[in-house]
Amino acid sequence: MSFFGFDTTLPKDRPSRVSRGIFENPDPFAEVARARAEGLHDGDNDAIDFEDTYDGLGDQLDDDQDAFNQDTFGGGDAVGKDFDFFGKTAQISDVINEEQVRYNLQHTKPSISLATGGAPDASSSSTATTTQKQKKTGYERYKDPGFIPEIQAKSSVWGTTTQKVKPVAEAAVLPASPPAAPPVAPSAAPSAAPSAAPSAAPSAAPSTVPSTVPPAAPSAAPSAAPSTAPSAAPARKMKMLSLEEVEAQIRAQSQRPVHTEPVVSPPLPFSEATRPAQPPQQVPSVPESHNPLPQELLYLEQHAQFGRGIPPPQVLQRPPRAPPEIYHPPPVAPSPAPVQVLQNPNRTPQLPPHQRYPGPSAQRQPQQPQIRSHGVPSVSSSQPLVNLTEGQRAIYMAEEAKRAKRNHKIFLLSKGNGLMTPQDKNFITRIQLQQLVAATGNITDPDPEAVLSEDFYYQVYSQIRGAPRQHPRQPLGHFAQTYLFQTGRSVGSHGSRRQFQSADNHMQRMQQQVQRAVEAAKLKPKNKQLIIEGSLGKISFSNAKTPKPMLNIKRPESSDGIKSTKRIANTELSPSDRKSILTNIESVYGTLMKMEDMERTMPSAPEEHDLEALQRHLEWRQRMQSFNQKLWYELKVLEPIVPGSTIPHPFIALLSYPKGKKAIPRIFRQIDQEQRVTILTIIVVHLDALDVVRRGQLQSGENQPPVAVREEIELFSQTVMPSLLGYVNEAPFNIIIGLLGLVLAQTHVQSVARTKVGLGILTMLLSRAEIVKDAEQADERDWLQWCEKFDILFDSLEPILGNIFPSSINSGDDIYAWQFLAAVGIGANPEQQQRLVIAVKDRVMETVAQSKTLPADMASQRLGNVNLFMRAIGLDVDLLY
Amino acid sequence: MLFFSFFKTLINHTVTVELKNDIRIYGTLRSVDQYLNIKLDNIDIVNLDQYPHLSSVKNMFIRGSVVRYVVLPQAEVDTTLLEDATRREAANQANKA
Repeated sequence: MSFFGFDTTLPKDRPSRVSRGIFENPDPFAEVARARAEGLHDGDNDAIDFEDTYDGLGDQLDDDQDAFNQDTFGGGDAVGKDFDFFGKTAQISDVINEEQVRYNLQHTKPSISLATGGAPDASSSSTATTTQKQKKTGYERYKDPGFIPEIQAKSSVWGTTTQKVKPVAEAAVLPASPPAAPPVAPSAAPSAAPSAAPSAAPSAAPSTVPSTVPPAAPSAAPSAAPSTAPSAAPARKMKMLSLEEVEAQIRAQSQRPVHTEPVVSPPLPFSEATRPAQPPQQVPSVPESHNPLPQELLYLEQHAQFGRGIPPPQVLQRPPRAPPEIYHPPPVAPSPAPVQVLQNPNRTPQLPPHQRYPGPSAQRQPQQPQIRSHGVPSVSSSQPLVNLTEGQRAIYMAEEAKRAKRNHKIFLLSKGNGLMTPQDKNFITRIQLQQLVAATGNITDPDPEAVLSEDFYYQVYSQIRGAPRQHPRQPLGHFAQTYLFQTGRSVGSHGSRRQFQSADNHMQRMQQQVQRAVEAAKLKPKNKQLIIEGSLGKISFSNAKTPKPMLNIKRPESSDGIKSTKRIANTELSPSDRKSILTNIESVYGTLMKMEDMERTMPSAPEEHDLEALQRHLEWRQRMQSFNQKLWYELKVLEPIVPGSTIPHPFIALLSYPKGKKAIPRIFRQIDQEQRVTILTIIVVHLDALDVVRRGQLQSGENQPPVAVREEIELFSQTVMPSLLGYVNEAPFNIIIGLLGLVLAQTHVQSVARTKVGLGILTMLLSRAEIVKDAEQADERDWLQWCEKFDILFDSLEPILGNIFPSSINSGDDIYAWQFLAAVGIGANPEQQQRLVIAVKDRVMETVAQSKTLPADMASQRLGNVNLFMRAIGLDVDLLY
Repeated sequence: MLFFSFFKTLINHTVTVELKNDIRIYGTLRSVDQYLNIKLDNIDIVNLDQYPHLSSVKNMFIRGSVVRYVVLPQAEVDTTLLEDATRREAANQANKA
């Protein structure tokens, strides 16, 4: 048998594994079995009794046995106690790894590379030996090309000792572990160690040099144990260093910056006892590993491929029961597997041999039935099976299969067991709840304002046009509550009493959680970013409400100041440039929106005796008034009128933008009559400065204004005119007279009259005067004044009456002109009417003639327009036929 | 939230979504979320000749980040209100910043 060779015993012949070597299969059921053993002790046939499974190893330990300490540590007081073998080895771990890889590359035969388990090669072996006075490299025989190693696992090398390192602690854990072998690989690792250990024990125990010998394979032990073993000789010839030399070497090595590889260290938080099922990556490799060797092969090959830069796969890193020291080295993290591989053999000699091999294998045999009965179907059932009859065997096998199946199921279910602590779960729940809260808005937020500000368009649109859903807030605000409530009910109604209660409790807890989360979210201002100190980047958080911003531009402090001063300068410099006008319009809108918001919150009409309500109402009115003042100021209506200035009045400039025009109806709702008349006056005074009038003038050769201007005119007619008309229709007569006077005095009437808007305003005034006259509300003096103004208007317009129409007769859009003529015609005296008819006769005849060529409906429409005028002067188009 | 709020009003109206990979999908907007992920129903691929493999797809969920344009039904957009909503949003942003 070679010292690292395979175990030649058949799986069924192997005694139950006592040791848990480094290559032993992970034990996914350890936790399950343990939990069952502890928790389901009663009522479960499969429960494990501690007494049954305890192998009594602890009792055999001789705690104060230090007979071999001298052998181990060199003896005498001269030796310091600062042994840090592991640390020292870890420091040179990369060297070892290097050497190992190199060795593997040099010795392509995989079986040879296995020997690295002992010591990579001469140089690294020298370093390795330093700590333990190891004299043997283990490679000696491989120098012989013809050598075929005997295949037997040198299990002792891989941690046979582990169980004895902490015998007492292990003992507590142990009862669970043996039965919990993975059913998929029943014959796996366990085989090697026990077979090796017992047989090695006799030879090793009496030996005086256990420290030098990595507890060798049983057959090799007798010959190898003595330090003068012939096979070890070649290596020793090459590397015969004294202890001092070796130590010096180590010091030198430890002084140069040693790069310890980043290590995929085993999860430290889990103690041995609480460690959950083994990581799944070890599981797939299990079935093929009827012998430890293939796994090791696999690993070594992988390692050779990856090179040492990549942390090697964890296959080797988590021997289920490796000595805890390996997992918890305080200063130096455990280096990748090879180091452990080296470590284990080196460490073993530290222990008194007979502690390592506490008992003959025979002692353990009786325990196997119990062990086997717990989820290790066929691991070590060989001996009892042999004795069974065929029928019994069949029954037994069926049972075993059933058990294995169940265990597998449990294993599958329990894969993730214990991965998350309750705290982890809580944390996740909190995050989820907060996301929920953020996504739905504050579900407990009674303030509709907040909802409105977040979801303004939807809310208002829904109110205006009818929501697509019946209850717009329902999917938002009440989502969480609805959801929670429903869940609770449905679970409760189906479940039994107990389930109901637990569900209820669960629901209560959830609701409390939600409440707490909501409160926390409210209290805590959300951190948008996390900047970890010393890092270059920052982490932006996002939630449903505020998705992660793509751009995160930090405004420098200084630029803000510059900006504001600039803005002030701007407003001072030119009140008429585009930007400042737009800013004005926006501020008007801002105030408008605030006022409209205020309207919504208007307190209900106060009762007389309710002083408090009265007070509220008063306050509201005051605030409204202050807003009104603000709006009025922002409209800049009262800016001084500068006659002959090339810069338009700010208010007129405001009206030259579409959104300025659109604001007028809303402004008119918010202002009082006096303010309205002021606005009307300003418009009338600047009538020919209005963009719609100024640009609405037809240039020579133009049939109609450019499209943009037409759109403006259209917009003005739709927004500003109705507002003005709405006021004019209620305006007192003297104001109408005054306005007409202003038109005549301040504007160029002839050019104004050539535009749609200008004519529209004139029509407005004239028709209002006519209505007042019809209602006989006007007193004599006012009426005379009006007639005077009207005469002036008529006289100045008479020459251009033929030109007030859009130039093309075909355009058809001339109703406003006919309306104006009608308004003039009504107010005119007979003499003026005659002049009027003469002035527009041509147009009337043309239109009538043209209407004859048009389809009936269009013709009647055109004729109807003409008739507006004709009837006003007591005629009818029908007379013209 | 403005866009979310806006698109919510378009639910059950037909829109045309153009994706960043040039597929143009015409369909009824079924739902939209905060990330502007879109669910479309009764879809038609506008440029089906280029994407025949989509001919049998009847509805789809579109991740918001792959949308290039959404062509809106003009009649369903209240521009004045949208302007105001934009102003509000801007004011909110200014307040927060």
